[in-house]
Amino acid sequence: MITNPLRDPRDRRLPRVPEPCALVVFGITGDLARKKLLPAVYDLANRGLLPTNFALLGFARRDWGDTEFAELARDAARKSARTPWREEVWERLAASVRFVQGSFDDDAAFDELAGALTELEGSHGIGGNAAFYLSIPPTMFPTVLKQMQRTGMAESTPDRWRRVVVEKPFGHDLASSRELNALVDSVFGADDVFRIDHYLGKETVQNLMALRFANTLFEPIWNGHHVDSVQITMAEDVGIGGRAGFYEETGAARDVLQNHLLQLLALTAMEEPVEFSAEQIRIEKLKVLRAISLPDDLQTFAVRGQYEQGWLAGQRAIGYRQEEGVDPHSITETYAAVRLGVETRRWAGVPFYLRTGKRLPRRVTEIALVFKRAPHLPFADTDTEELGTNQLVVRVQPDEGVTLKFGSKVPGSVMEVRDVSMDFLYGEQFTESSPEAYERLLLDVLLGDATLFPRNAEVEASWAVIDPLEEFWAGTEPFPYRAGEWGPRAADEMLAAEDRQWRRP
Amino acid sequence: MTTLWDTTGSAVVKELAAQRRTGGAVLSGVALTLVVIADESRVIEAEEAATHAAEMHPCRVVIVVRRQIEAPVPRLDAEVQIGGRLGPGEAVVLRMYGRLALHAESVVLPLLAADAPVVAWWHDAAPARLATDALAVFANRRITDSSLTDDPQAALRIRAEDYVPGDTDLTWTRSTAWRATLASTVDSVAGRRGDAVRISGGRIEGDPHNATAQLLAGWISSRTGCPVEVVASARHAGPSGVDAVFLHLDEGEELRIAADRRGGAVISQPNRPDGTVALPDRSLGDLLSEELRRLDPDEPYSDALEAATGLAGLTERPAEREHVWVDPADDGDRAPTVPRDPGDEGAPSGEDGSSSDEAPPRVR
Repeated sequence: MITNPLRDPRDRRLPRVPEPCALVVFGITGDLARKKLLPAVYDLANRGLLPTNFALLGFARRDWGDTEFAELARDAARKSARTPWREEVWERLAASVRFVQGSFDDDAAFDELAGALTELEGSHGIGGNAAFYLSIPPTMFPTVLKQMQRTGMAESTPDRWRRVVVEKPFGHDLASSRELNALVDSVFGADDVFRIDHYLGKETVQNLMALRFANTLFEPIWNGHHVDSVQITMAEDVGIGGRAGFYEETGAARDVLQNHLLQLLALTAMEEPVEFSAEQIRIEKLKVLRAISLPDDLQTFAVRGQYEQGWLAGQRAIGYRQEEGVDPHSITETYAAVRLGVETRRWAGVPFYLRTGKRLPRRVTEIALVFKRAPHLPFADTDTEELGTNQLVVRVQPDEGVTLKFGSKVPGSVMEVRDVSMDFLYGEQFTESSPEAYERLLLDVLLGDATLFPRNAEVEASWAVIDPLEEFWAGTEPFPYRAGEWGPRAADEMLAAEDRQWRRP
Repeated sequence: MTTLWDTTGSAVVKELAAQRRTGGAVLSGVALTLVVIADESRVIEAEEAATHAAEMHPCRVVIVVRRQIEAPVPRLDAEVQIGGRLGPGEAVVLRMYGRLALHAESVVLPLLAADAPVVAWWHDAAPARLATDALAVFANRRITDSSLTDDPQAALRIRAEDYVPGDTDLTWTRSTAWRATLASTVDSVAGRRGDAVRISGGRIEGDPHNATAQLLAGWISSRTGCPVEVVASARHAGPSGVDAVFLHLDEGEELRIAADRRGGAVISQPNRPDGTVALPDRSLGDLLSEELRRLDPDEPYSDALEAATGLAGLTERPAEREHVWVDPADDGDRAPTVPRDPGDEGAPSGEDGSSSDEAPPRVR
């Protein structure tokens, strides 16, 4: 039924704009809120993608008034916004910004918050719709969720929607994530819970689906007949920053492998969804995650490492154990590499090598499909000595784009074949001013589009992969590697054991 | 950057290839070729906008400036740029003198990116019949700008008479922000009611001579089936020519959206407090970027154009144009006849300087 005569499916110029609503941020004074959320809200407003009636509510312990909060929000938004700063846009936004002060176990503060929401319903016409962003440590979730349940804020009715946004980590193992999921899903409905994995908001990741399912060229070779192995890398050149407390508890496998890398694996390995909808994509991703197998020989094929002091980008970098707040005998890993299998007809026998680490030579995230060698080469052996394997690389960041590596003749009078690579790079502007992942994901939450958000079953399936690894690693010393190296030697040996080697990204 | 004076089309192609080799891997894949037809006085503006658009949509930019068509000797000057002032991709500025300007396609055709769509944009008053410009004939999409004419309302009618699917006009692009605001406001009424909304009438206050205001009125009436008038407002309307829009809904409700002159619009609707949304005037580069986003025929535009001009059947017209040869020298009393110049190698073959025996170039 057409409810709005001005909407025309052929009209692709009109953007999707959410219904009138409020965004409530818990932990608004935190790092994430200041660096990502507030700028994203401003950018959305500046692009005209926020509804006419919109309100932003901040909740934190600090003793602030609306004006002080508006001032902080303005500075934060201005500092990190991606679109040009326009004071009038902010002024309009600031008119609908509220701050509620209180601690999470304070009943009165939550009553005040509920009251403020109801009041905004009238004064700002937000129609009772609200999204709650939990930008707080997971240990606080139960308290906050119970408060919301008590005040009835979490209830969706046919007249209004209430959604909740949760940041990773979604638990620290299967049991705890089940517990967390059960709690969140019982307070909000399962459909109203949005788990943010900001990697999925990136253009290249979405483009992976376009690359695979909109083209005829790649799908026929996207399987174990042609693909020899898949390497998924997420490397960071930075250390742990000021997050020692968090990192000591978490480690690289829980921090990155469990969510980002497994999501990238799922998108790479999944079958074609029946249609491009949240539900269908999720069904396919879940099938892959459940089909993941761990190697029998974990000793060889699951490697974890920890950086020692070294030199990185011309600067001396201290070791992990020397970082402030880190136990000098810490056995937390800052590097993890594992060989996984995907037990489906398409992928049986193809190893998926996943690795992530901190203090690696450069910041890069990529998915590389390494193809099998041609079964027969009509050239003399010496002609193809330099010929490697064909590769298709999806560069997620930086330099978003696609690289194809193949053999080509070396110009000259003799027949020699060597590897060359062909690059597709998104336009600079395209990636510069294309919506920041948070902006896109925030908009999707307000629109109720769950395509880019993992559901609880996916999270649990991912933990089912990580738990045995953590169990195996428990109590063992991670392999040391120097800051500025591509990980510990054991990780190289892991591929060498199968006559392969890591691609240098 | 290299500037080639008094050159030929093939020299430009060669120079482009040479720069691509020495310039390193600047180009990152091309989605389309953008051919800009601009008057010398507007070249800078057009360059800026094309550069902005090229950053968003990797493309090869070819800017064609036709100068002094009555110049006795045809001549081509070219500026070849890769990854410089004109954006990250390849760009060529071609200045054509004399009768070469009538055969601009002879220089442009070999410069098009292979098998990529071609978009032609007139940053100038476009010809009344686009088919008279060979550059329009091979373009997959043609962008005109009726606001650059003396009488935009009349220009809009000309565009409607000449329309074939794949044409678009920047005066339509300027209405997008207004249309988005109107649609989302009606959405919020539908959301509040939980039921469909019917629009029984509307009125636009603004500049009745502004093509954007006319197209916006045309769009509302094409979507709702009721006539929408543009009436002169007391205040001077901005570049979109729209000061305020009123929509009459069923159940006796009325919506009013008025520009607040500060890059925003105030929305007044029943049962809700007034709200303000961003409604900025966008730069030429932004408008062009929006146009390059999709290259298929824009049906909502043709519907709005039909409603705004009263012409029917625009969408059904065949999407092809045949080139129509028109010689400006044929107008009036056969003004300056161009003398034959045997030593001129720069001119395309078939050009003999006189107009009577000139065969129309065949362009596909």
